[in-house]
Amino acid sequence: MLIEKSSKWKEGFIERLEEREPWDNWTLYNMSYDVVKTNLITDFTGLQSPKYLPNLTPLRHQLEVAETVIERMNGKAILADEVGLGKTIEAGLILKEYLIRGLVKKALILAPASLINQWIDELNHKFYIPAIPYKKNYNLDNYSVVVMSMDTAKKSPHKEVIYAQDYDMIIIDEAHKLKNHKTKNYEFVQSLKKKFCLLLTATPIQNDVFELFYLISLLKPGHLGNYETFQSSFSANKLTWEHDDYLKELVNQVMVRNRRKDTGIEWTHRRVQTIPIQFTKEEKEVYDLIVGLKNVSSVFSSAFSMITLQKEMCSSKEATYLTLNKMRQQCVDPEEIDYVEGMIQKLMALEVNTKAEKAYELISKANDKVIIFTEYRASQAYLQWFLGSKGITSVLFNGKFKKSKRDWMKQLFKDQAQVLIATESGGEGINLQFCHHVINYDLPWNPMKLEQRIGRVHRLGQEHDVHIYNLAIEGTIEDHILDLLHAKIDVFEKAVGNLDDILSTFKESM
Amino acid sequence: MYPQQIHSYLHNFFDENNCHIVKNHDHYMTVQLTIEMDKKIMDRPYYWKYLENTNGVPNPAQLTFITDQNKLIENIKGEVVHFGSPRLNQLFRATKDLGAFVHMYEQVGNQIQTKTILTPWLGVNYKVSYYSDQTKEMLYSLGINLITGHLVDGFQERVRTFDLDPEMSEDAFGLTFIIKPLRALERLDLAIEKIINEDDHTWAEEAKIRWQKDREVLEHFYEGVEDKPECYDMEKRALDEQYESRINIEIINGGLFYLKTSIN
Repeated sequence: MLIEKSSKWKEGFIERLEEREPWDNWTLYNMSYDVVKTNLITDFTGLQSPKYLPNLTPLRHQLEVAETVIERMNGKAILADEVGLGKTIEAGLILKEYLIRGLVKKALILAPASLINQWIDELNHKFYIPAIPYKKNYNLDNYSVVVMSMDTAKKSPHKEVIYAQDYDMIIIDEAHKLKNHKTKNYEFVQSLKKKFCLLLTATPIQNDVFELFYLISLLKPGHLGNYETFQSSFSANKLTWEHDDYLKELVNQVMVRNRRKDTGIEWTHRRVQTIPIQFTKEEKEVYDLIVGLKNVSSVFSSAFSMITLQKEMCSSKEATYLTLNKMRQQCVDPEEIDYVEGMIQKLMALEVNTKAEKAYELISKANDKVIIFTEYRASQAYLQWFLGSKGITSVLFNGKFKKSKRDWMKQLFKDQAQVLIATESGGEGINLQFCHHVINYDLPWNPMKLEQRIGRVHRLGQEHDVHIYNLAIEGTIEDHILDLLHAKIDVFEKAVGNLDDILSTFKESM
Repeated sequence: MYPQQIHSYLHNFFDENNCHIVKNHDHYMTVQLTIEMDKKIMDRPYYWKYLENTNGVPNPAQLTFITDQNKLIENIKGEVVHFGSPRLNQLFRATKDLGAFVHMYEQVGNQIQTKTILTPWLGVNYKVSYYSDQTKEMLYSLGINLITGHLVDGFQERVRTFDLDPEMSEDAFGLTFIIKPLRALERLDLAIEKIINEDDHTWAEEAKIRWQKDREVLEHFYEGVEDKPECYDMEKRALDEQYESRINIEIINGGLFYLKTSIN
């Protein structure tokens, strides 16, 4: 076995013996011995880090995660706690532990640009880990812990600079962005040396189990077998699940996931309601015309754009118009153009938006702060105008805002406005525990997006029950989305555990 | 370390380094640094360089440390120092630097007729660390009698109870060592290695088993792949580094001790 020794002390000793340097002070000599004795890590197992962090009181489940990852998973794991349970704290504890134990000297943290400052802040202030945000001209040799965005990291020349460093630990936040193995992100992370590695995501599966396969193969290639063996275990239909227990067992060897209800903390309840809405006759007519479009022109033959249009129609005429108008410009046949223009007229003549009316009704009834999530910028603008006309103040929010603007909007919402209207991309990285009503004005295809949305509000620090309203228009594509959401939640539950009530048991109540 | 322990630690540290303690309350203190201490812990080499080049009047910093924030009711501005804070870690390192080598004599009372004979010893404190993907550390304090070559364990704990001083008492007589200190150091180094060799190293074997297991998983992933990609070698290297077991021996401090009390 390799034994490392330094001759530094011996050299200093010789200098004293030859009287070239003075001897040291006896009290300091004893103090030095005592310090080493106090800080001695006497066991291979157990966490040292908490005693170094008097200003942080980690929750029990966070300590357990740190211990499990270090002792059972040997420092390579997916941290998949539900949103709001403190994955950053868990990652911080683990990193701190390895730093104290001298096993990690250099660490790299990859996070979405919007979360970099939060990481820097938490690591420095909660964990006393001197992390710095990466800047272009920095020489990475000089910094032991660096936080940077995945978008920067994967590009040249940064990519090469990172590869040249010898990182002992890699932490990747919002790791579900690595689910697609054909992306640059994936390729970049695959080529990184991962001695100790943490992947943080509340949503390790968004659509199918292959995402989990690719995520785990990044962390520990071969753990779920290679692609062929894995695929053969899971038949063509990605939504069914064979070898249930076996796979679960394998997944649990590399992934920890706490659910709210396992944490032993008194969580407030989620009250989820799916609110069925009926279109007015006029709205229904336009919707049906949109469904019929595919028979009118080849411009409308793509399933994708047809689905988009139908979803938009379920949201607002403003959103629909933008897409429809763009497609009309592609039509050449005068007859087709006439048809579409007639339809646009009918669309623009609509006076009532039933869904918006319903949202207004819910806001009035709540008589409290409300967050509305929509998928479309046009609907977002419309809703602000519509609510404004009813005397309800609102602020807009989206994830592309800079941090300063996001903080400002959050403050405005807290102090002045009743409603915050956010688009999907506004979901990550803000905490709004002072609000306890969420309206999902549009439903996303992906249940984890719903979870991310709700997680903005239903997280540690929330003191009230949280009300969630999922709006869905009957007899439209939104029925189908609801079905699919249920099916996907099923896949996820089988692999990693129950989701809180993202969707209420809609079907039973129907 | 509790706030009180940290407080007395800081107090001792600065006091021993001749820094004047301007104010000393039970949960905070103000310290006037000496020039040497400022250079050591304030991390401002340019200031000192500038001052020396311009023959300016040195103005070493005065610092206030808050050792127990919870008890603080006074309106005091200062640095909060707690176990794990960067400042305390820095002072720990400074302590290690400033207390690495000693040369001590045990004091003797007034003897009327004969001088008391002091026997020379070399004492060394070793920290031994075992590393794989986990860590464990041990502290050994060994001493060797420089006349007889007799070796003892637990030297530090014994010797610190004695009345020691850097100056030899007038009534004492220090024997000249027979075993040269550097030769003795080699013997202690060998003794440490012997202790390590005889220790239980299941930890290393277990790390090897974990390594093999992960290695098999990796091989399985690339089974049947003719031209293995670069990331295969990288993963392999990462596993080697993750689980490789190694041992580090570090000398914390040590020194020459002239003792009248015999140690077995």
